[in-house]
Amino acid sequence: MCDTCGCDAPAVRTIEVNERLLASSAAHAEHNRAHLSGRAILAVNLMGTPGAGKTALLEAMIAKWRGSRRILVIEGDQATERDSARIRAAGATARQVETGLGCHLDARQIHDALHHLDLRAGDLLFIENVGNLVCPALFDLGERLRVVVTSPTEGADKPLKYPPMFRAAQLVVLNKCDLIPHVPFNLEQWTEYVRAINPHARIINTSALCAEGVEELLDAIDDVRRSFCAGISA
Amino acid sequence: MHELSLARDLLVAIERKLDRADARVVRVSVSVGSAAGIASESLRFAFRIICEGTRAAGATLSVTTIAARGRCADCGIVFEFDGLIGRCPGCGRLGGELLSGDRMILRTIEVADV
Repeated sequence: MCDTCGCDAPAVRTIEVNERLLASSAAHAEHNRAHLSGRAILAVNLMGTPGAGKTALLEAMIAKWRGSRRILVIEGDQATERDSARIRAAGATARQVETGLGCHLDARQIHDALHHLDLRAGDLLFIENVGNLVCPALFDLGERLRVVVTSPTEGADKPLKYPPMFRAAQLVVLNKCDLIPHVPFNLEQWTEYVRAINPHARIINTSALCAEGVEELLDAIDDVRRSFCAGISA
Repeated sequence: MHELSLARDLLVAIERKLDRADARVVRVSVSVGSAAGIASESLRFAFRIICEGTRAAGATLSVTTIAARGRCADCGIVFEFDGLIGRCPGCGRLGGELLSGDRMILRTIEVADV
């Protein structure tokens, strides 16, 4: 019964919560992180615009690393197995996740995919997210390293227009840098915008097509991997 | 449309906090940082749909936006963002390193015991 006037409306009381809402997938993300850390597997969340060259960069990295590293790739796309087929052709193991109407990968999908991969200690796991500069930035998959890939044809102001994505990345890659002389793109301006949003990110210019900058990207990932492995053994 | 996933997570968090089996949710208050990348209107819409057929069916979702704060990379001034980014009031530089305002907080749940 109502406390105010005694009418039949039920009394309303307030439950104080004041807690940060963690996505329910956050628990899955932590589970993934623990699972992968236990095997010293560095997981890299590779995000970026559709067509920035994420898959091409993976192919270029696999080509350089083949024989010296076991590389596993979880491919996220709305539809088709096309990217997984490219990764397998390049010489790495791939597991495709088709998200259907989903605009990003989530930690549950990664968890399921991990169960279909033959994980071994020291493997390097790339998660190629759905091409999208918005939603993937907001979902933790259990990765240790976030990389965002863009290209000159997208314009210099992308970092300002999609701040959460650029803020969330430790590595920002400008792929297709061989196009810079041919398109109206101001590299200095772009770099300034990335810095304005994320002063700590490492910026690497690459061209997957010309195999430029790929070594630097591999070194940057290896740096993270070394400190990650040192952290585990400590 | 990630607000649909967030609305689902919000409902799970709310149901976890309900202390009585007969508690029906009347109103929920959340605060959202302006840099969280969450559209209030989409969240309210998704929440209404997600809650159908649950103990929170018909509950009002009140969303308060809290201005994010950031630090200018050049002059170090801390200032409030206007949405996802800001412009430094000192030197006019656009951007700013985010210090707060990228979260959603579940504040209160108002329930009626029926």
